[in-house]
Amino acid sequence: MAFSPELKKGSIEMLVLSLLEGRPRHGYDIGKRIEERSSGKLKFALPTLYPSLLRLENRGWIKGRWVEKPGERLRCFYRLTAEGRRVLARQRRTWKDYVAAIEQVMGGSGA
Amino acid sequence: MRSWEGYVRERLSLPDLPPEREARIVRELGTQLEDFYRDALALGASEADAEAHALRQIPDWDRMAQDLWLADRSRAGSPVECWLRKIEDRVRGTRTGGNMLADLIADARYAIRELAKNPGFALVATLTLALGIGATSAIFSVIDGVLLRPLPYLAPDLLVRVHETVPQYGRFSVAPGNFLDWRRENQVFERIAAFSPGSGTLTDGDTVERVSNAEVSFDLFEVLGVPPMLGRGFSPEEDAPGRNGVIVLSHGAWQRRFGSDPGVLGRTVTLDGASMTVVGVMPPDFYFPSRQTELWSPLALDPADAPRGAHYLGVVARRKPEVSLASARAEMETIAKRLAERFPANAGESAEVIPLHEYIVGDSRASLLTLLAAVGLVTLISSCNVASLLLGRANVRGKEIALRAALGAGRGRLARQMLAEGAILALVGGALGLLLAYAALGPLRRLSAGTIPRVDEIAIDGGVFAFTLGLSLLTGLGFALAPAWQSSRLRPSEALRDGSRSSTSSSSRRARSALVAGEVALSLVLLVGASLLLRSFRSLSSVNPGFRPENVLTFSTSLPDGDYPEDHDLIQFYDALLERLRSLPRVRSAGMVQSLPIQDDYFLSFAIEGRPAPPPGEEPSANYRVVSHGYFETLGIPIVRGRSFGARDGVRPPLVAVVDEAFVRRHFPEGDPLGRGIDVDNGRDGSYEIVGVAGDVHHDGLDRTPHPTIYVPYPQDAFGTMSIVLRADSDPLPLSASVRDVVRELDGSLPAYSVRGLEGVVSESLGERRFSMLLLALFAGTASFLAAVGLYGVVSYTVSQRTREMGLRLAIGASKSSLVRTMMAQGMKPALAGMGIGLAAALALARLLETLLFGVTPFDPASYAATALLLLLVATVACFVPARRASALDPLVALRHE
Repeated sequence: MAFSPELKKGSIEMLVLSLLEGRPRHGYDIGKRIEERSSGKLKFALPTLYPSLLRLENRGWIKGRWVEKPGERLRCFYRLTAEGRRVLARQRRTWKDYVAAIEQVMGGSGA
Repeated sequence: MRSWEGYVRERLSLPDLPPEREARIVRELGTQLEDFYRDALALGASEADAEAHALRQIPDWDRMAQDLWLADRSRAGSPVECWLRKIEDRVRGTRTGGNMLADLIADARYAIRELAKNPGFALVATLTLALGIGATSAIFSVIDGVLLRPLPYLAPDLLVRVHETVPQYGRFSVAPGNFLDWRRENQVFERIAAFSPGSGTLTDGDTVERVSNAEVSFDLFEVLGVPPMLGRGFSPEEDAPGRNGVIVLSHGAWQRRFGSDPGVLGRTVTLDGASMTVVGVMPPDFYFPSRQTELWSPLALDPADAPRGAHYLGVVARRKPEVSLASARAEMETIAKRLAERFPANAGESAEVIPLHEYIVGDSRASLLTLLAAVGLVTLISSCNVASLLLGRANVRGKEIALRAALGAGRGRLARQMLAEGAILALVGGALGLLLAYAALGPLRRLSAGTIPRVDEIAIDGGVFAFTLGLSLLTGLGFALAPAWQSSRLRPSEALRDGSRSSTSSSSRRARSALVAGEVALSLVLLVGASLLLRSFRSLSSVNPGFRPENVLTFSTSLPDGDYPEDHDLIQFYDALLERLRSLPRVRSAGMVQSLPIQDDYFLSFAIEGRPAPPPGEEPSANYRVVSHGYFETLGIPIVRGRSFGARDGVRPPLVAVVDEAFVRRHFPEGDPLGRGIDVDNGRDGSYEIVGVAGDVHHDGLDRTPHPTIYVPYPQDAFGTMSIVLRADSDPLPLSASVRDVVRELDGSLPAYSVRGLEGVVSESLGERRFSMLLLALFAGTASFLAAVGLYGVVSYTVSQRTREMGLRLAIGASKSSLVRTMMAQGMKPALAGMGIGLAAALALARLLETLLFGVTPFDPASYAATALLLLLVATVACFVPARRASALDPLVALRHE
C-alpha cells in the first residue's frame, strides 16, 4: 500500500532520529534502512530525505562528519546529538500517546 | 564511470548559499548518487541501466535546489538563534498558548537570521535607531530628573514657596516681621517656616573652612516632612536669640567632616566665631534649600524686634490637604493686604504662593520641553529612515516573499514576519541607544551644571528604561507597518514572474518618497530652530557687558561680626588686603564690590534731593554697588563724566556717589547730574553727592537692558562680605594660590572662597542658553544626516531598480548626463517638497521658541534662507552620489541586468 506524502512527511524526522539512535549512518544507508525495516512500505526519495538531514543537522539534533573507513569511500556519517536524543525521546512519547488515542477513537480492537 | 560529483555540480546551482556549504552538499549528493549506481550494478544491472537508475533519483534539479535552499535557511547561525530554537522546541505543544509563543519565537529567530544575512542593512538600521532612541532617552532622563521626579520631601505636592511682591521689584524676599504675622494669622498652612541661606566659617579644631549653611525656623524639617536620621531637629525654645547655639548636619557634612562618627551628637564646633552644639544629622537624600547646604541652625527671629523693611527670608509652607492652592493664595493675599494697611513699610506689598516644584524648576521647563520636542523629531526621522530602508528591502526580497507565499505562508504570517524584523531592529537599536544615553549622561550633566536645577538627580533609572523600551517598541511597530502592509498585499504570481519589477515597486517608491519628504521637512524645522538659537547666542555673546572680564580673578571673603564688630575693623582689614594684593607680582590693579555684576543683585530704593517725594511704595529703585577705589579701573568700566572714587573718599562726609548712564537717562534726562544729591535707603543718613558718571554695566545679565545703578565708596557703607577683583597681566587663575596665602596671612581663621575667573562668571550666565543651543544644533545635525542617508537610499534604490530601463535608454542614444538628471530627480522631488513643507512648519512653530531668543525674531529671514540653502546642498550631494552610478553604466551589461 502507498501512504500519502503528507503522512510520510510528518514522520520522516522521527524515523531518521530513531535510525541514528544505535549508531552513526550515512545518508544512503539511512534511506535504505527505512525501506528495509518497513518491508518496502516506506520509501523516501533523495530529494525528500536529503533536505531533511540538512534540516535536522541545522537544528542541532544530528551532526554530520566526513569519515573514511578502510576499503570504503569518504562519506558523511550522521550521529545523534544529546539534544537530538532528548527530542527523540519526547517524540516517541508523543507518538505513542497519539497512536493510542487514534486507536481508542477508531476502535482498533473491533470493540 | 562518470564523476558523480561533477555531474551534480553541473546541475545544481545554489547561489544563495555560502560556497563551502554548497561544496559540501554537492559532494554528499554525488556520493549518494554513486551509491545508487553501485547498488544497481551489484544487483546485476548493466552500466547504462545503473547510470539511468542513479540519474532518476533527482528528477527535478530546480525543485531540489529550492528544497535545499529552504532547508538550509533553518541553519542556526548565531548562538542567540540556537538558544531561541531550543526554547521554541521546548514550549511548542507543552501548554496552552505554547504554540503561539513558539511561533513568536520562530518569527524572532527568522528575523534575526534574515538580519544577520544582511549585516550592512542591519548595522545602518540599528545605528540609525540607536541615534534617535539614544538622544531621546538622554533628554528624557534630564526631563525625568528635573521635571517629573517628585522632590525628596514628604507629599511634595503640598509644599509651596511664599514670597512678598513689591511694586518696584516684583517677587521679593520676605521681611521677618511679615513672616511672623503670616505664621500667626494664616489658616491654610499646616506649618510655615522661614529660612535664610548663607555661608559661614566653620572651625573644628585646627581646620577652618567655608561652608554653606542656612538659618531656619525650628520646624523647617517638619514642614518638609523629613526627620533627622540621627539625633533631633530644633525645639521651639531654641528658635530664639541667645538660645540658638545648636546645629543639624547634612549627611554629606557628617561623612566628610566628621568621618560618619555616630558620636558626633553633643560635639561642639565654632561657626562664625560662635560655639554650636551638634544635635542632629539629616538622612542622605535630604537637601534644602540647595544641595550645597551643609548645616542648619535656628533662625531665632526676635518677635519684639522683627523688621518689615529688611527683606531677606525665604518662606516654605505645607498646605493643609483640604485647602486648594487657590484658596491658599487668596488667604495670603488678604493677610498681606491687611498688613499693608497697618504698616507703612508694607505699603503696596502683597504675597504670592507658588508650588515649590514649579519654583525650583522655573525657567528650565521651556527649554527642556523644546529639547524634548526636538529630540522627538529626531526619533521620528530615524524611524522614517528605517521604514524606508525596510520598504526597499521588502522590494528586493519580493521574490523570496512571493515564494514563501506560494509555499503556503499566509499573508498575516508574512506581515507578522515583517513586524518581527522591525521589533528586533528596534530592540537592538533601543539597547544601543540606552548605552548611548548612558554615555551621554556625563557630558550632559557637565554641560548643564549650574544652569539647570536638580541636575544631580539625572540618572538612567527604571523610568528612563521603561521609556526607552516603550519608545523602541513603538518605533519598531511604526516603521515596520509600511513594509508589513505592503507584503500582505503582495500577489505571489506577479512577484514570482518578475521579482524586481512587481506592481508594488512603484507604490513602494511613492511611500519611500513620502517618508523622505517628511524627513527633510522635520530636519528643516530643527535646523531653523538651531540656527535661530545660534544667532541668539551669538548676539548675546557679542553684547558688551560694560566691563572687561578677561584676565580678572575674583574671590570672596567674609568677616565674622564677632571678630570685626565695627565698621573701622572691616575697613582696616580690607584696606590692608587690597594693599597686599596690589603688590603681588603680575597683578595690575585690584578692587572690590559687595555684589559681583551678573552673578548677584542688590537693589535699594532712593530719593533724589529737591524733588517731591513719591507716594510710599512707589520710590524709584536702583542697583546698589558698594565699591572700593580701583574697582572701575580693574573691571575696565569707563568713567564718562566727572571722577571715579579715590583714597580721599573716606568714612567721613562728604558722601559721594557715582551713577551710571542708565541712571542719568532715566532720572536726569534733562541734563547734568553732577553735584546733585541722592538719599539712598542704605541705613545711613545724609545724601550722596553725584561726582561721576560711569558706563552702563549689565548687572542683571547680558539679556537684560542695564538697570540704573548707584555706586558708593566702600568706607561710606562697609560690608563684611566682599568680592575682590584682581586684574592680572595674563591668565589670572595661577594667582589663586598666592591670593589664598595673602588672606591667610592677614587672618588665619579666614578662608578665601569662590576663587574663579570673572570670564567664567559671565560665560556661566549664558550656560542654559549654551546648553539648549548646543543640543539643538547637535539634534539638527543628526536629523540632517539621517535625512541625507534617506535621500541617498531612495536614489540608489531607484538606480538599481531601473538599471535595465537605463540601459535601454543609453542604447537608443540618451546622453549620460540626462540619465543622471532623471535619477537625481527621484530624490530631489521629495527633497524639495519636504523643504516646502518644512519651511511652512518652521514658520508656524518658530513662535514657540520666542522666549529662548535674543536679538533675533522668530521669522529671521537669514536663518530660514541659510538653512534651506544648506539642506538643498546636502540633498543635492546625497542624490548626486548614487545617481552618478547611472552614468557609469555599460548599456549591454545594463540590458542583461535582472
